[in-house]
Amino acid sequence: MNQSDGPLVFIPAAATPPPEGAFVVIVRTREELTRCLSEPAPGLDWLQVEGLLGDTEAWANAAVDGRPVPLDVIMSNPAEEFSLLYRLADVRLSREVRVTMPATPGFMKALRLAASLHLAVRLLPRQPDTATLTELTEAVTFYLHDSAVEAPIEPFHSLLAQMRGTAPPVTLWEILEEDPAAFVHLDGAGQPRQAADFVAQHVRRIVEQGGECATCPWIGMCAGYFKWPDASYSCAGVQRLIGYIESAAEEISQALAGLEGTSRQRTGKNAP
Amino acid sequence: MSGRAFSVILLPTSECNVACDYCFEHKEAHRLSPTLLPLLTRRLLDHMEHEGIGDCEIYWQGGEAMIMGPAWFADAGQIMDAAATRRGRRFIHYLQTNLIIYSPAWNEVIKSMFGGSLGTSMDFPNTHRKLFNGSAEAYTRTWTRRLEEARAAGIEVGVIAVLHQDSLDAGPEAFYHYFAEELALDNFQVNTPFPGGPANPDGIHLDQVSLARFLAELFDIWMERGYGLGVKLGPFDALVDHFTGAPARLPCIWKENCSSQFISVDAKGTVAQCDCWVTSYPEKFFGNIFREPDLTTMLRTSPARREFVERPRHLVEHEDCLSCRWLSICHGGCPVRTYSALGTMLAKDPYCEVYKSIFARAEHHARAIVRKQALQSPDWARLTPGNRSLEVGTGS
Repeated sequence: MNQSDGPLVFIPAAATPPPEGAFVVIVRTREELTRCLSEPAPGLDWLQVEGLLGDTEAWANAAVDGRPVPLDVIMSNPAEEFSLLYRLADVRLSREVRVTMPATPGFMKALRLAASLHLAVRLLPRQPDTATLTELTEAVTFYLHDSAVEAPIEPFHSLLAQMRGTAPPVTLWEILEEDPAAFVHLDGAGQPRQAADFVAQHVRRIVEQGGECATCPWIGMCAGYFKWPDASYSCAGVQRLIGYIESAAEEISQALAGLEGTSRQRTGKNAP
Repeated sequence: MSGRAFSVILLPTSECNVACDYCFEHKEAHRLSPTLLPLLTRRLLDHMEHEGIGDCEIYWQGGEAMIMGPAWFADAGQIMDAAATRRGRRFIHYLQTNLIIYSPAWNEVIKSMFGGSLGTSMDFPNTHRKLFNGSAEAYTRTWTRRLEEARAAGIEVGVIAVLHQDSLDAGPEAFYHYFAEELALDNFQVNTPFPGGPANPDGIHLDQVSLARFLAELFDIWMERGYGLGVKLGPFDALVDHFTGAPARLPCIWKENCSSQFISVDAKGTVAQCDCWVTSYPEKFFGNIFREPDLTTMLRTSPARREFVERPRHLVEHEDCLSCRWLSICHGGCPVRTYSALGTMLAKDPYCEVYKSIFARAEHHARAIVRKQALQSPDWARLTPGNRSLEVGTGS
């Protein structure tokens, strides 16, 4: 979602004045949402909307066309909140809307409905247990094969693009907007919660420890994402999941190569 | 201004000049007064302004809209369009008529106000549409003559056909031949009938399996004989657009929530979800546009409308819609078809299995189209993520 070059700072709606450069405002009340939509401060990239999914009036206001401020709507319990996504059906027609949800048990209900409403999704896997890994695999299959999916589902979308060589390499931390070098969250005192070099330090630490990461083929794109906060988390299931995405990427590349050959034969031309 | 569509199904009268067996509407001889039209227009424009909506589509229907006469429409169009222009908005007018009293006197207003086109209705075979004190055959003769006259005047005509048992008995081949070849229509659509309603509780009941088979075969015939020639057959054409990744305007019955896209207003100012509701179900009225000063507030606070808004939520929680692979293009189907059959709208559309059959047929044909396009195009390698069949994450 980040369109700016420098780091994005996440600030509460009450913060004044806004920081220099690009920033995201966190809104938690209907009034904050309405105010930030009607009077967006210069430099605002998007609004992160928390705890408002059930507020019908808030979304009726957000569906009103005005300044096209994008929204990132945070779900805390997707298995319970999923049907509330219908509140966003109209909002999507007035502005960009993405839904962010944790990969907690039952999240597929929300993911399936979000895709059916053409909403982009940021799925935060964190350190998934066995049951959640099964659901994540189901989610990848859904993403790859279901015709309902028209908007990106992250991190699958960016991982697949990287594996096909159609997107520049970035880490999972960046894809999921959790790299403090690019996405700066502040503590109560207004200071960054994590150092800008958090990911680099984390990777160095876990590689030096000589665990799974030291020999993992995906260390470059994962950057130890699944080894935080618990560095002892076993990545066996996660590696199978990433391997599944990689297999799909190879399959797509081979299919396209086959299509290129067929096209050349039929047209007698070289594909551009 | 807006990516949101807002449409009003406007009934200048509920009066009708024909007597169709299966009509679900309560017919009243009430007509929209020219005195009240500026107020109606102002209410609509206020709402558009509140919601940031630039364009509003007005679907003029009835009853029978042509009962109002061409001069009434010319005046109405002028009043509404001038008011909209003053407020930087626009009304786009469409006309749905049975054509029975069409005459050349309509040509000017059809061209100036309705963009030279209109929509009408006919079934095949016609056994239910009848003139007052007349037969279905007489209706068909009159309608066909009017259709020819309108087309001779350069008017583009789209036709809606409601399926009934005689349609299924005649078969899709005869059905398609009648509309696309005998009448030479290049734009028609098939509608499923209502299972009933207060004005006509018997309604039309069709066997779901037979209906699904009829539609699937009709789809195949159209793909073979009409699609390549540019014949539009709704809703199949919209579904093919959808599954080939082209911009698609699916019919209202399959919107994620019809309540956010349109309303209907009758001649007395009654506001309800669509023409079916405003003519048939007083218990589901949202309010009155003349009596209540703010349409936006009416729509946001109406308890009756709340049911429509919440229906899709209810369906994914209580029906099997969430696990259905067609959820993204159906969302539980049409509330009024459900209500007229079951007495509640909080259930999925009784035509669920029929829709699934059509969707599967559309996907099958669309895949063949995309495959053919991809193989024929030397530029396939430049296909973008928007081309759904070749890029990642967009179905396989």
